[in-house]
Amino acid sequence: MKRLKQTLAALLIVSTTHVGFVQTAQATMVGTEQLAQAQQGEASRAGDAARAHLNEMFTRADVQARLEKLGVNAADARDRVASLTDEDAARLAGQIDQAPAGGIIEVILFVFFVLLVTDILGFTKVFPFTRSIR
Amino acid sequence: MSFPENRRRLLGAAGALAVLGLAGCAGPGVLIRDTPPAGLPRKVELSATPFYPREDDHCGPAALAMALGASGFALDPEALAGLVFLPGRQGSLQIEMLAGARRAGALAVEIPGTQEALMRETAAGHPVVVLLNLGLSWAPSWHYAVVIGYDLDEAAFLLRSGPMERQVLPFRTFDATWARSERWAFVALPAGQLAATASEAQTTRALVAFEKAAPPASAVRAYQTGLTRWPDAVTLALGLGNSLYKAGDLRGAEAAFREAARRHDSAAAWNNLASVLLELNRLAEARDAATRAVALGGPTLNAARETLRQVEAGR
Repeated sequence: MKRLKQTLAALLIVSTTHVGFVQTAQATMVGTEQLAQAQQGEASRAGDAARAHLNEMFTRADVQARLEKLGVNAADARDRVASLTDEDAARLAGQIDQAPAGGIIEVILFVFFVLLVTDILGFTKVFPFTRSIR
Repeated sequence: MSFPENRRRLLGAAGALAVLGLAGCAGPGVLIRDTPPAGLPRKVELSATPFYPREDDHCGPAALAMALGASGFALDPEALAGLVFLPGRQGSLQIEMLAGARRAGALAVEIPGTQEALMRETAAGHPVVVLLNLGLSWAPSWHYAVVIGYDLDEAAFLLRSGPMERQVLPFRTFDATWARSERWAFVALPAGQLAATASEAQTTRALVAFEKAAPPASAVRAYQTGLTRWPDAVTLALGLGNSLYKAGDLRGAEAAFREAARRHDSAAAWNNLASVLLELNRLAEARDAATRAVALGGPTLNAARETLRQVEAGR
């Protein structure tokens, strides 16, 4: 585990020299996302960029690990994390366990009658067969 | 129902109070039926939107497949499940729905959470993916559905939802279930189209995220379209230059960065212009641009200094 951390740290140190720029052999380009973040006032000091990038790497590793824990296979999890913007990766890291996950239609019996009534009143729409009174 | 209006209201209120207690139920809100937005048809139904019925917890991939299908990206829900379904949560998360749409090749744009926005998007031919909480705040049933239109005379939205190919959901009920997701909605469009209702900020966010995933040529097209609507947007101007650069079009990138630099005097644009000029081996011009970028300072100062150093080294 310690060895792993050391390796990870070394990797991060090397990779942070590339702080958010699209670098080629010659050019140092400012990426659009970097400008957009600067426009929003994030990472507004140049010195913050390296730290932000470091956080970013940890955030992505964290999100990927949690996706896997929630049943996504490793390859899919890697691709899914890679497709997130920095902002979204950070948001997802904070919400992955609580954010609404659209899909579950799970109605326990206790709630059934409540929902039946509220459906009829038009406050909810759990059951396809109800018709609201308005 | 033949109850008189006030009796029915009273009954509804009493019933709600009795049953719900303190559960925070959404009020009726503005009745859009009474004051429909101007310039919209009485009825819209995007009936060409494909339908993938789902009874289980895969409404996320299904809703995404329907919206993408309507925009010309033919993908079945099974393929999309690998992009957006989260087994441990038995559903799909909003952020991943947007990312999944992008990975399928679409521009995913969040739109304002108003019923008018839903009407305007569907009238523009864009089905809208919405997150609904069909249950209650304390007994949630989170559900993705696709709004494919509305009918002002029936006072209802038309949806593809779960197993229902054509659900007619009254405005009031729809809004009550939608309000619990803070009225979250997005459209998935081909590059070169913009959402009819999204703000500049919403569109910019969508385009910047799109650039990360899309082939550079598509990103170029998307940014060009964005700039026709918001010609003064510096982020879009820089994005156009960056996408042209990634597409290997150095002359085009030069022109885009030069225009952005001239128009906005943005350090990022001057820096990127300098980098492109350096690659084109026009060192004197590159030096001027890089010097300007350094002089402007700001969050891109380190990049500008590095560019200037490279230009100096290239002389």
